[in-house]
Amino acid sequence: MKAHLTRQTFIAGLALASLSFGATVALAQGSAKVGAPAPVFQAVDADGKTRSLSEFAGKTVILEWTNADCPYVRKHYNSATMQTLQKDMTREGAVWLSVVSSPVGEQGHVEGPQAKELTVTRDAAPTAVLLDPDSKVARAYGATTTPHIYIIDPKGTLAYMGAIDDKPSSNAASLTGAKSYVRQAMAELKAGKPVSEAATKAYGCAVKYAPVS
Amino acid sequence: MAPAFRNGFLRKTGLALALLAPGLLAPGLLASGLAVAAESAAVSTPRVTVTLLSSRDAVAPGERFQVALVQKMARGWHTYWQNPGDSGEATRISWTLSQGATAGEIQWPAPHAIPVEPLVNFGFEGTLLLPVEIAVPQDAKPGERLTLTANATWLVCEKICIPEEGAFTLDLPVAAAAIVDEAAQAPIDAARAALPAPAGFKGTLAGDGEALALTLPGLSGPPSELRFFPLSDTLIDHAAKQDASAGPEGTVLRLARSNAFKITSGEVAGVLTFKEGGLARSLSLVATADPALVTSAAGSADALRPAVVRIPLPVEGADLTLWAALVFAFAGGLILNLMPCVLPVLFIKALGFAQLARASRAEVREQGLLFLAGVIVTFLALASMVMAFAALGSSVGWGFQLQSPPLVIALAVVMTLIGLNLLGAFEIGTSAAGVGHGLASRGGRLGAFMTGALAVVVATPCTAPFMGAAVGYAVTQPPALGLAVFLALALGFALPVVALSFAPGLLRLLPKPGRWMLILKQAFAFPMFATAIWLIWVASVQAGPGGVLAALVAVLAAGFVVWLVGVTRDTGRGRILSSALAVLVVFAAGWFVVQSAAPEATTDARAGDIQAWTPERVAALQGEGRPVFVNFTAAWCITCLANERVALSRQEVKDAFAELKVNYLKADWTNRNSQIAQALAEQGRAGVPLYLFYPASKGGQPEVLPQLLTPDMLVTAARRAAGKELKTAAR
Repeated sequence: MKAHLTRQTFIAGLALASLSFGATVALAQGSAKVGAPAPVFQAVDADGKTRSLSEFAGKTVILEWTNADCPYVRKHYNSATMQTLQKDMTREGAVWLSVVSSPVGEQGHVEGPQAKELTVTRDAAPTAVLLDPDSKVARAYGATTTPHIYIIDPKGTLAYMGAIDDKPSSNAASLTGAKSYVRQAMAELKAGKPVSEAATKAYGCAVKYAPVS
Repeated sequence: MAPAFRNGFLRKTGLALALLAPGLLAPGLLASGLAVAAESAAVSTPRVTVTLLSSRDAVAPGERFQVALVQKMARGWHTYWQNPGDSGEATRISWTLSQGATAGEIQWPAPHAIPVEPLVNFGFEGTLLLPVEIAVPQDAKPGERLTLTANATWLVCEKICIPEEGAFTLDLPVAAAAIVDEAAQAPIDAARAALPAPAGFKGTLAGDGEALALTLPGLSGPPSELRFFPLSDTLIDHAAKQDASAGPEGTVLRLARSNAFKITSGEVAGVLTFKEGGLARSLSLVATADPALVTSAAGSADALRPAVVRIPLPVEGADLTLWAALVFAFAGGLILNLMPCVLPVLFIKALGFAQLARASRAEVREQGLLFLAGVIVTFLALASMVMAFAALGSSVGWGFQLQSPPLVIALAVVMTLIGLNLLGAFEIGTSAAGVGHGLASRGGRLGAFMTGALAVVVATPCTAPFMGAAVGYAVTQPPALGLAVFLALALGFALPVVALSFAPGLLRLLPKPGRWMLILKQAFAFPMFATAIWLIWVASVQAGPGGVLAALVAVLAAGFVVWLVGVTRDTGRGRILSSALAVLVVFAAGWFVVQSAAPEATTDARAGDIQAWTPERVAALQGEGRPVFVNFTAAWCITCLANERVALSRQEVKDAFAELKVNYLKADWTNRNSQIAQALAEQGRAGVPLYLFYPASKGGQPEVLPQLLTPDMLVTAARRAAGKELKTAAR
């Protein structure tokens, strides 16, 4: 596994290991920046295949942090809002990666077979589900909540980071009239326009981080 | 069990004594018997136990007092502050209060930074009191009850998060003098004493490269463990360390910017916490932001802040300008005149003018103006009630008065009595005519005013076209603007009658008074009876068979009373007896109505292919690629029923819906339903009807149809909604 470490994650890991708690948490947010190259990563998907960001060069990549048992995630899946969004985005040629960063023993943790089962039973349509039980991808991006969305343009630049929509609530009624930041950003990217709301405050359950080892 | 009983008993006895003789007993004497806190029933989960605590056992008219939502959290669990930090959601309360009472905002204690490595949340552990100030109405009377219901939602998290909710009710007696509940007052006072104090100085926030520098001129030192909690969740990186240092102008706190950084006004607010002499202190701070930091466009920052939002922000009504709303309201009021229940009342008024016109044109004009006054006063009174409820966060809208079965029944009685009067079964004011001309003409003036009021009351079931958007706009505006819209509505409504009273030329167009007037008058009794039948049907939908029984008994009692008063009018002693009997019958019938007409839960399941509406179902069906039509309706809304008859139930519409696989959902607002009220508010409406056509694409925004439907309109809208589906699929 160590051999696969990229420079960024290696440096981040070094920094995380050596700095005090306060500085560590500061880094948890600092690494991903709209307009800058998106942090590269490698992770194993539900089929056991190693996937990396570079594999999708030239395509728009959407990262969705998820935790099947989080009430905020369930709001979007029980209403089929998330699945519909996945289908629409992949149909337009985007790559959708659902990332599960919960470590073993924490809420939302899944192994490959469970991840696949969840995709089938929920009729979800991600390109792949990435398993990140040591929370490395989450740290690289500074993901805070489930759901938390990142959009990376075909050149590898981070184009959007933040909430899935503008209604920070776990109540299903809040879906009515919600503005999808993802649809807005994708439409603007497609039209060659700058993303008008490129960084928003993500809402939801905390990402369950693995302790730094 | 036993001590609880004893305490409860003592408390009740104490209250009874206090109510009977408020001046006789010293409050101190009562306090010993009142040691049990006035506290609502608890909502208890393994994670948190929540109650509503009152600092009063009895409240005095016009006073302000404190209640508190109490959250007792199990070890390891926490709830959230206004800005929850990296994740989570603040506790929210929406209030349902007795008439005239108001509730303030939550008075938030200073939060704690709760690390959930590597994230940081802002919230509370252990026992939390969230105080809220309640204002008792000035006109509350000793002996009445003040009922407060806090509908609270909160997210409670350990590592995992559970959204929870509960309704907490306090039912407090109103007494001449307040009775303080010492056991509750003490912890509430303590919680309020610990609230962040105003800082007494203004901070300044400036950019410092990638970071932010918050200068605090009033703090020297810097104090230990200083931390700034901003109200906005898009200002700082919540988890980042905050370095404090001494600068030339006071303490400077270095803050990392949020990666969703956005400031939309020139000021930022928040809470400072620090230690002073080992004691925790907190200050509420306002800081001036360097204009270079402020984003000009109002954007997501405000929308994301989980503040307690009392009135859902309208989507469409808000787009109306004041002038457009005024024009719509005026036109809506004008059209209201044509509604079947209003027309007879107005026609009779016009006929009255025709008779009077021969006597005195001045008198006709006076009557017209009095009618106008009656209309305006009644409209503004109703509007004030709707707006007061809306301001309190209660989900009422135009027509709310028809959501109460007793009021529906009262309207049915009014309609029946008007009908009987038109038929000549009894006369109003005939007895006064015998007394003297002065009284009679005063009765005429009062009558003109009351006709105006009555016309408004009978018009409320009908939300005329254009009115919906205008009323929706009105309830979301500051009171003065909102009342201006209702005033326009009233002027439009009164215009035909007033115009008639000022234009004798128009009156001359009417045929000469004669026998035809009597016949027409009698004929107009039947629309009134029809309206009464419709209202009784509404009562049957709301309250079941009990509602029908109550309504018919009320109609019978009303008929009996007017007959009784009529036959005994000229008898001397019999009159007193009959009056007493009439009063008795009215009270007995009223009591019976209130007792038997309790609202029934409306059954959502409906026959056929019309399904009950929920937002989830709309989203799910859109997800399946099906266009969705939503009919927001109510049994008491006559415009809604008319639309169902003339458009929605027509065969060509049904065929088109079937062919295009349109799912027809119905949101029934006959009884109060906060979810429906919220959905209406999101479209900028305060009442029904509302017709929405959702396109077959997930998350697609609905098309709002006009309030008067035609079959053609529905078929084309269905095609549009389904057509979008084809376009999306092709993309």
